[in-house]
Amino acid sequence: MTRAPDGKAAGFALLLVVAGSAWAQAAAPAADGALTALIRWAPLIGQGFVLNVLISVIAMAVGTLLGLFLGLGQVAPSRWVARPAVAATQFFRNAPWLVLLFYCIFILPFRITLFGTTVDVPNWLRATAGLTLPVMANVSEIVRGAVQSVPSGQWEGAASLALSRRKTLWLVILPQCLKRMLPPWMNLYAILLMSTPLASIVGVEEALTMTRNALGAERRSELLIPFYGALLVAFFCACWPIALATRRLEAYAARERTG
Amino acid sequence: MTSRTTRRWAIAGALAACLGLAAPLPAAAQQAGDTLSRIMREGVLKVGVRADYRPWGFRNPAGEFVGMEIEMAKDVAATLGVRPEFVPVVAANRMQFLAQGQIDLMIATMSDTAERRRVVGIVHPNYYSSGFNVLLPKQVTTTDWNALRGRQLCAIQGAWYNRPATERYGVEILAFTGIAEVETALRQRRCVGWLYDDNLIAVMLASGQWSDFHMPLPSQSDTPWGLAVRLDDLDKPWGRFMSGMVAHWHRSGKLLAWEKEAGIAESAFLRRMHEALKDHIQ
Repeated sequence: MTRAPDGKAAGFALLLVVAGSAWAQAAAPAADGALTALIRWAPLIGQGFVLNVLISVIAMAVGTLLGLFLGLGQVAPSRWVARPAVAATQFFRNAPWLVLLFYCIFILPFRITLFGTTVDVPNWLRATAGLTLPVMANVSEIVRGAVQSVPSGQWEGAASLALSRRKTLWLVILPQCLKRMLPPWMNLYAILLMSTPLASIVGVEEALTMTRNALGAERRSELLIPFYGALLVAFFCACWPIALATRRLEAYAARERTG
Repeated sequence: MTSRTTRRWAIAGALAACLGLAAPLPAAAQQAGDTLSRIMREGVLKVGVRADYRPWGFRNPAGEFVGMEIEMAKDVAATLGVRPEFVPVVAANRMQFLAQGQIDLMIATMSDTAERRRVVGIVHPNYYSSGFNVLLPKQVTTTDWNALRGRQLCAIQGAWYNRPATERYGVEILAFTGIAEVETALRQRRCVGWLYDDNLIAVMLASGQWSDFHMPLPSQSDTPWGLAVRLDDLDKPWGRFMSGMVAHWHRSGKLLAWEKEAGIAESAFLRRMHEALKDHIQ
């Protein structure tokens, strides 16, 4: 029942590429086929795709760490901690990702001198910082929601065992939250991975940039659809397993709650 | 009690880190010293080039940069005895990258305009020149630009000629980010013609892939292209050195040779410059 739509999704993706290639063949009998051209450029575009994955993994890891603290800050009893945490979360959650990206690319230093050694900060790393900010804010909201969804009885129980607030959080509340946080967290990762082509606008040499460069070098308009189609399929292949696993986990969590 | 305080400090620290990440840091401390000697010291020349503008600057399937402007950059590096490092730029970020100091030289199909001279140091003499024209289907035979008033033309976003064409001849621009997208739109007849660089239209027509198209209108606004250094480098050794490089390329005919290698029809500008600067002693 739940598997049927997934099969359809994969079928649709395949159809896209086949249709794209067929369209290209029909449009251009000249030169070599779209598939040959695609194979020629695949290593370069694949190299770009590795960068997409790398950017998303780093942004997710750092964003999750920062977001965890920011989320806990949101539910902190002290106003002086909670208010700035809420403000930062809301600010970065409601800012367009592309604007944050531009901001980081043009504001962060491209070269850092630490203890006499000069290190170049590559473009993609600054773009990663730009994507980390919205991830942080979204993780912060996920953490806040999960912590607040734990029944208050758990807090009271922990208090009766004379656990400090910190111990209650780390030993009682957060382990229970983990299961609830995992599906939205994975969802966020899939969205992040799909957003990494935004970095092409600021000149990062990721898969979309490489695809455009390949198209610019080939200068054959009939390649446009198959090349972008292949890119679509590559992202689909990376994101679909995550979506599948997320649904499994959600179903599992639902059973746990009801059963 | 102490754990509570530590936790607070931890959270405050994390917050400060987050905010610090977003706080406007001073834009790249400009290297106060002389750029030329820094390049020599570091042994690397960072050049901003196009990666999507065949045949001037583009990539081959191995990912290497190739094209006429890449040859120019390689020659600069070879003259200095340093390694060239290519940074891909687009029209929208090339001047920022240079001003920030991410690159020390920009050879990126940029035409030399008064507004741009206020932002970056455009080196003279100019190394190239081109005008704009329209690639039209053969059914359209007009030789008068005014016949295109109110008609829709496809073009590349950010191209310098989009504005003069709109202002002078009242054409409407349908702008795309890449060449492949424009070609597709033109083939799908979403616009009458393609407003583009006249040399490039000549390259396209010579390729045989555009046999249903021609270029019946006279070219407009022949505009020189300039390579650029940072504004404060223009009258320093680095800017003066680059001026010498360009003059030498004109004199030796290297630019003409690179243009030919790239498959571009010989431009009148390069011929004229070569004639003016070539060695008078045979």
